[in-house]
Amino acid sequence: MAGTGRETVRAAIRQVRPIMSTDFWEARRRALGLYKAFYRYIPYIVKYFDIPKTENDCRWKIREYFYKNACVTDIRVIDLLVLKGYMELKEITHSWSQKGHIMAYWQPTVERKPCDFICKFLTGVD
Amino acid sequence: MSLGKYLALDKLANLFNILKQNGGIRGTLYKLYRQEEAKDGVLVGEDKFGNKYYENPRYFYGRSRWVEYNEKFHLNYDASQVTSEWYGWLHYKTDLPPHQDPSRPKYKWMIDGNENLSGTTGQYTPYSTTRPKVEAWMPKKAE
Amino acid sequence: MLRQPLSRALALSSPARVAPLAARRYADAVPAQPEKVEVFIDDQPVHVLPGTTVLQAAAQVGVEIPRFCYHERLAVAGNCRMCLVEVEKSPKPVAACAMPVMKGMRVKTNSDLTRKAREGVMEFLLVNHPLDCPICDQGGECDLQDQSMAFGSDRSRFTDIHFSGKRAVEDKDVGPLIKTIMTRCIHCTRCIRFASEVAGVDDFGTTGRGTEMQVGTYVEKMFLSELSGNIIDLCPVGALTSKPYSFAARPWETRRIDSVDVLDPLGSNIVVATRTNEVLRILPRTNEEINEEWLSDKSRFACDGLKRQRLVTPMLKDSRGNLAPVEWEDAVVAAARALRDCPPDKLLAVAGGLADAEALVALKDLLNRLGSEHVCTEHYFPTQGAGTDLRSSYLLNTKIANVEDADFVLLIGTNTRFEAPLLNARIRKAFIHKETDVALVGPKVDLTYEYTHVGDSASIVKDFASGTSSHEVMKRLQQAKRPVVILGADQLKSEEGPALLAYTQELAHKLQENLQDKEWKVLNVLQRTASQVAALDIGYQPGVGQALAAGPKVVYLLGADSGVVTRESLPEDVTIIYQGHHGDVGASIADIVLPGAAYTEKRATYVNAEGRAQQTLVAVSPPGKAREDWKIIRALSEVLGAGLPYDTLDEVRDRLSQVSPALVAYGDVQPNNYFAQARALAQSLQKPVSGKLDVQLKQLEDFFMTDAISRASPTMAKCVQAVLKQKNSPY
Repeated sequence: MAGTGRETVRAAIRQVRPIMSTDFWEARRRALGLYKAFYRYIPYIVKYFDIPKTENDCRWKIREYFYKNACVTDIRVIDLLVLKGYMELKEITHSWSQKGHIMAYWQPTVERKPCDFICKFLTGVD
Repeated sequence: MSLGKYLALDKLANLFNILKQNGGIRGTLYKLYRQEEAKDGVLVGEDKFGNKYYENPRYFYGRSRWVEYNEKFHLNYDASQVTSEWYGWLHYKTDLPPHQDPSRPKYKWMIDGNENLSGTTGQYTPYSTTRPKVEAWMPKKAE
Repeated sequence: MLRQPLSRALALSSPARVAPLAARRYADAVPAQPEKVEVFIDDQPVHVLPGTTVLQAAAQVGVEIPRFCYHERLAVAGNCRMCLVEVEKSPKPVAACAMPVMKGMRVKTNSDLTRKAREGVMEFLLVNHPLDCPICDQGGECDLQDQSMAFGSDRSRFTDIHFSGKRAVEDKDVGPLIKTIMTRCIHCTRCIRFASEVAGVDDFGTTGRGTEMQVGTYVEKMFLSELSGNIIDLCPVGALTSKPYSFAARPWETRRIDSVDVLDPLGSNIVVATRTNEVLRILPRTNEEINEEWLSDKSRFACDGLKRQRLVTPMLKDSRGNLAPVEWEDAVVAAARALRDCPPDKLLAVAGGLADAEALVALKDLLNRLGSEHVCTEHYFPTQGAGTDLRSSYLLNTKIANVEDADFVLLIGTNTRFEAPLLNARIRKAFIHKETDVALVGPKVDLTYEYTHVGDSASIVKDFASGTSSHEVMKRLQQAKRPVVILGADQLKSEEGPALLAYTQELAHKLQENLQDKEWKVLNVLQRTASQVAALDIGYQPGVGQALAAGPKVVYLLGADSGVVTRESLPEDVTIIYQGHHGDVGASIADIVLPGAAYTEKRATYVNAEGRAQQTLVAVSPPGKAREDWKIIRALSEVLGAGLPYDTLDEVRDRLSQVSPALVAYGDVQPNNYFAQARALAQSLQKPVSGKLDVQLKQLEDFFMTDAISRASPTMAKCVQAVLKQKNSPY
């Protein structure tokens, strides 16, 4: 019964139209390519946008954004996320976005939601 | 037309009048820096803040009556510093300045304070005047 | 359209009007059912017991006949005539609420004659009814409005307004709780019947007849009953409304949340009506087993005490000795420091009367983790003998619903009228309908029914227990088939308390042994507060006297406001941490104040005097920075390092079920046992007693302000003043 399940799933995957990648490893390669592209542009980000962050800060921030989507398994979703990442990279490289947009990645006004009991108690969250 | 007018000598006379009234060249330049204009005119009166009110019918309507704010304000003069008595005269609502007008009413509910305090620490911020829904417990003060 | 739901009318299938069969578990009580009679309601056959009325038979089928004066729990009056229905072969329509069914009766509830009758009655009622709907508080929940829309005629023929007009009646003053606008009265006489039957204060009546008839007290007299608020629910129109709630809200604007009342030990079910996060009023919810559909005045009107004297921020004593508001972190850290630096045997916790089971278990767990065993309740219970180990020694074992089936009730040192008004209403119900006799040992108080006053010395109990009494009450007790003995828990405070309890257990055991009905329990102990039973179940030590004498260094008060713990009785360097919701006695002596939530603001478990666990639900959010009680204790434990293992309410309830499954069995009562064993353990305590039994609440003015919430309520203060004023009046 499990075997039939797998075959139908495989058939379903074959039937669903891929966006760019046909299998997981290709999507992974694309994601890593995006990561490396961002990595290479970091010194230019720091210099051209004149942001008060170091290169290391930028590296950790990119890492954090990539890890946020770490649990995605659907290939089409990965493809779309990679595409959006490239769109953002294009905006940065062409200087269509400005210092404010880059600094917004650090989201200084977003408060972390409390997760453990004592933080929830002190902020009054249920 | 007289020769003086033909050669624009009356304009020159006006200029010297202005210079004389505003305290010489230095004074006129200071007035120009502070108020962006220097005019000559008759001092009609002064209000409680020290602002001086001038009139000169030679200038056209709208510019013939003006106020020169007290020196103590330096560059922070503001139209709301004109007191309410002089406001009517300054805006051509009446031709009688306050000290010459017998019909100015004086009620005991009239208050003084004028100046617009927005942006300063004395500004008005709205606050709730309703009673709070839950009365908090006030602990007794220890002796 | 009708106020009472159909299920209630259906529940009264037997004319005896007792609690449903499921609540009674004794063998010989169910009589042999007599032959059922067949009746046809709208051509639907239904079999009913002989003696049911047409209205009840129709309710069984599902047909609601409109009425104003009929009420299931009151005697039948039959004076509104709204329930007229056509019965075949009858010359005129019959009043369905009063007519007993006969075999083969065919009733037509929707025929032309019936409809015409209803329209006619409605027209007559509206002739003299003022056009007050926009200003009447009952708008939206008014029986007259609903029934006139459903059954009344669509046009009016009233032209007399241009001539003599509508009748107007003066308003009567019956106290600070009930607003009377007697012009709106339709003379259904429900209030009169309630006052005379259920409340026992026979003050209401009618004066005059015809158009001039007026319902009232004739002389200006306050309605001096602790159940007076119920006539507000009973009145089908806006003649009797709630004075504190007048002009406050319309019923469709309010959100209604089911909850449980904690101001008396019975745990009456209530509905909390809220709007914009404030409690507007409290109404009773029908629960056949506890409060039927009545509610005592204190529970109903003390809700405005929830808005006054509230603790809204944590407070710490500053350098000058004044309590100053601080943030939660500072308060929790200060409290944790005090708890950590205290040697374990000098750490004491006292639980007050309004504490919920979750907070109780959290506090006990925390103190146990810190190494202390001194968790106490404010009210005392003797720990000698069986003590609190056997549950049957401190509960109402005959459940509240079964008390109305008793045939003799002995009250020892308790004024049930003010300590548990709804239990008193049940005893009165038994007194009226079942010819139950009541005897009282204690001070002579007015219980709204006649009773034999045996005396007020404690030795009477000893005589009863040993069988040496020559009082006729002894004979009655021994002959009774279902006797009930109720002992007030307040009497067990004195040094003679254990002996008194022992004698009562002896007496109850003797009586129970001779009963035919093996399921009937005789012994009852009536606690004073809503939290006592839960605390004793969880394992709290009853009574603080001993623990205070030991000289603790840190005292943690969980809502303890009854004044048992005072600064004078404690050593000089004590730190008092108070956690509660009102600034009462406890907060004024405290060094650290932690604001908690009141019973309408948290989802909490309370166990009532019979051992039934019930839960309150969240109706409004706690004010200011107040938090739920068990969460404060859990946060304290985390800061201390002795973290409690529960983070959510469900986990706390799992812990409660670990302690005792009865604490989370909501709505059920466990039948209790081990009476013989309890009595055997207590036999050594049967020493001679000589004191006099005295109750705390003797008069009506003592009833209104007994705990933190009612002491903060201005309505209750007005009631006390009005009662004192009424005492000076000659009527």
